[in-house]
Amino acid sequence: MPKAKIANDIRRLRFEHDEMTQQELAIRVECTRQTIIVLEKERYVPSLSLAFRIARVFDRTIEEVFEYCDDR
Amino acid sequence: MSTVWITLAVIGSALVIGAVGRLVWKLRPQPEMSGLPTAPLERLGWVGLGVTLVVGIGLAALVAVTGTDFVDENTTARLLFWLLMIVGFGVWGASWYVIKRRTGGAVVDERDRAILARSLSVESMIVLFSLVTWTVVLTEVYWDEGVLPIAYLQLIFWSTFVGGAFGRSLGIVMGYRREVTVDA
Repeated sequence: MPKAKIANDIRRLRFEHDEMTQQELAIRVECTRQTIIVLEKERYVPSLSLAFRIARVFDRTIEEVFEYCDDR
Repeated sequence: MSTVWITLAVIGSALVIGAVGRLVWKLRPQPEMSGLPTAPLERLGWVGLGVTLVVGIGLAALVAVTGTDFVDENTTARLLFWLLMIVGFGVWGASWYVIKRRTGGAVVDERDRAILARSLSVESMIVLFSLVTWTVVLTEVYWDEGVLPIAYLQLIFWSTFVGGAFGRSLGIVMGYRREVTVDA
């Protein structure tokens, strides 16, 4: 089974939202700052629940924040 | 007969070395995961490593000096033992309280919980290793006597307990150097 990668636009969206800091986003979605950092580096695939919370902070749908990249 | 035992020992050792090697390979640090700020749980893992190392070395030193007397006969040694345990694990517990107070926002999130769950494999490996070592050593030493000093039950428990806590801390610290996924 090919390894799927989930890309995201969190970093860009943070800057578009008054240059929101990683800590501010972490507090709003109830996770740690380290998790936001590894998410932005695309080294962590979040749960659906966390993905929804992040999308809601930016008033976007999940598909607008996260993109499924299939390696096939 | 001895050839059978030697063969079994070689096969057993190879299996143990293979299992440990596989675990170490799976948990090897990834360069791209370095340089991140430490997460609260990771800080707790580092404190746990320090505490369990100090307690473990202290326990080993106590046994080296007093033998198994600390369990019953030597009151001073017994007091030292309990002091070591209470202060050591007390510091670990208190450090979590301090880390939580200093952290703004969430302290443990889904990624931390996944790392915590994965650290169980390191803990299990060390607990298993401790039990196997005690079983082999005590069997060899006390085989002819046919009885085992009851103090060893305490030693087996405490060494496995401290070793398990060390393994859990090690698993946590190693976990933050690897990518992790959640199924939720």
